[in-house]
Amino acid sequence: MTALVPSPAEVVEGESRYDRLIQPARVHGTLYTDPSIFAEELRKIWHKTWVFVGHESEVPEPNDYVRKQLADQDVVMTRDKDGEVHLLINRCAHRGLQVCDDKAGNSSSFRCPYHGWTYRNTGELLGYPYNKGYGGKNKLELGMGKVARVASYQGFVFGSLAQEGPSLEEHLGAAKGEIDRLVGLSPEGKVSLDAGWLRHQTKANWKFLAENETDGYHPQFVHGSIFGVAGSPIGALYSDNSTAVTRALGDGHSENDLRPEFRTFDEPMRWFGTTPDKVPGYLASMAESYGEDAHRRTVEGAPHVMIFPNLFIAEIQVFNIQPVGVGECVQYSTAVQFAGGHELNMRMVSQSIGSVGPAGMLLADDTEMYERNQRGVEMADPEWLDVRRGLVRETVDEDGFTIGAATDETAMRGFWSHYKSLMEADA
Amino acid sequence: MNDEMHAVGEGPRHEVTLDEGAAGATVPAGRVVESEFASVAVRLDEQGNSVRLRVEDLRSGRVRFLDALELETVVWLEDGHLTQLLDPSHERWRG
Amino acid sequence: MSAHLTDLPPRPDTAGELVDVPDGWEVRDVEQFLFREARLADENDYDGWEALWTDDAIYWVPVDGEGDHPRTTVSIIFDNRSRISTRMKQVKTGKRYAQAPPSNLRHILGNIELIGGRINAAGGTDLEVSANFLALESRARGNQLWGGRTTYRIRRIDGEIRLAYKKVVLVDNDKAVPTLGFLV
Repeated sequence: MTALVPSPAEVVEGESRYDRLIQPARVHGTLYTDPSIFAEELRKIWHKTWVFVGHESEVPEPNDYVRKQLADQDVVMTRDKDGEVHLLINRCAHRGLQVCDDKAGNSSSFRCPYHGWTYRNTGELLGYPYNKGYGGKNKLELGMGKVARVASYQGFVFGSLAQEGPSLEEHLGAAKGEIDRLVGLSPEGKVSLDAGWLRHQTKANWKFLAENETDGYHPQFVHGSIFGVAGSPIGALYSDNSTAVTRALGDGHSENDLRPEFRTFDEPMRWFGTTPDKVPGYLASMAESYGEDAHRRTVEGAPHVMIFPNLFIAEIQVFNIQPVGVGECVQYSTAVQFAGGHELNMRMVSQSIGSVGPAGMLLADDTEMYERNQRGVEMADPEWLDVRRGLVRETVDEDGFTIGAATDETAMRGFWSHYKSLMEADA
Repeated sequence: MNDEMHAVGEGPRHEVTLDEGAAGATVPAGRVVESEFASVAVRLDEQGNSVRLRVEDLRSGRVRFLDALELETVVWLEDGHLTQLLDPSHERWRG
Repeated sequence: MSAHLTDLPPRPDTAGELVDVPDGWEVRDVEQFLFREARLADENDYDGWEALWTDDAIYWVPVDGEGDHPRTTVSIIFDNRSRISTRMKQVKTGKRYAQAPPSNLRHILGNIELIGGRINAAGGTDLEVSANFLALESRARGNQLWGGRTTYRIRRIDGEIRLAYKKVVLVDNDKAVPTLGFLV
């Protein structure tokens, strides 16, 4: 460190703060530790872009609701009587109390326990007790807060607190195809996320998670302990000889595309670590639904995709990452369930319990790394995190996406480039 | 299931069943509350994220689910207000 | 959820009839067994701890109170005997980073209560015992106080008390909890 170089946090004329902090081959440690940057992220990312909140299958019936989190906002996801899904902010328009307390329920309307103000499950104020105090019924133009825009793709519900901005489909861009690939493994073309959620408190900045999800460099090291004892073939997918690729999908999204490896083996269900004789009902239904294409689908398997900023589909698990503070976030994780999935569904629940959540044989170790990483970046020197791996060999594929080898940091660079564009935008 | 019995009252009454659900399983429509004027099946439904009352007008097949807050509201309806709702021109045969 | 699954076995906490406390059990012996199980876990004696389990073992840590059916909904832990063995093999590599280095840990058990006899799948009767616990865990992350109620099912095999079932209901399992790398 030398005093002659301006501090990365200092703004130099003609440069944005983020030009200095985010460079092609390195990013600055304060991005993970500076509370003022976190506050700016809330404004420019979490309260603005499309954030994954939940899945329509969590509110299957009219008037169902579940409590969800959208960054620092306590949100109630409701399905109204006509079937439309809403995201309400869990706050009474009268005194600001939390209106819903239960985690889930079924009710056409919500009544605040403080003074009895009552709302439809669309957020509209239905009424209040002793209405003469307000000059009669229907005198107040108030309601529960609403997430400004709500949209879903294949049942995945996203919210944006900004009135305007790109549509959800524009935001998802190339990542849509990855969600389609997941859904295409259901014989009925439909997934549900109704197997409950594990909640894993993580004392680390949310970006460590977003970067790690498609980092193909770490698995052999962090997960070597389980790959070895479980005889898992996953390690080889992320070796230096792997034909898998890391792809920056644009808009901050990225994937580890493992299909080249699975195509070489050409074995259905290898992606799930099993053999066809273990899931005959599922494969029969796939063949019935998709004919010859069922073979390709069940060979290539499910995607491994990180959708900016907080939805990670790890083949059969879905993660919802929500920040709590600059140094803390929560990972919500669940098992994907395929409509018509037969015996595969229970296997996916069992495999997910083994792998993810606070005691998971994979994710507990990732989380240990996130937390050690957070403690590490609190240290003074070196100030930077290096993200150059693969810069020397990355290429552009036929669809125009930047791709690197299985263990390259192409995905992280894609993440940072998009992050920078959002943070440099006017609030 | 015992809750359903008590929800409707004591003593034997007839039960009706209907086909429901992808699995094709037969689910009871519920215990029947009936008079010479109307015939309604009621049962607790647990398909939603919390329990609801499923009410079926057996003469028309029309079904309504009532959640706890709606039921409480019905309990507190003033008799006069409920009577107004019984006016056949109020909703069903309006105009 | 997924109520259409017809081949779903009964949930393990209510499977098998609950009958009166069977004869032949001294509270003192039962307590000593539970204390030993906790000490083996606290002191990272993985082989000793694993050896307590029967072949039909179930080790379950649900979320959201008593939890939903563990075959159709996710739990923090739902291990059978084979997965307990995998878990032990992983931690014994010394590279299970969530538990390498191991947590410094001490369990305290209390409110030990003989609940009854539980008819098991083989037709025998296991003793069902419940206890409250607090466990203080110290790691680089910080100190963490864990607490809850554990239900055990134990039986004698060749004169030794063995553990067939352990369900740990954490008091805060409706919230986000930190990494649980140790044996709770």
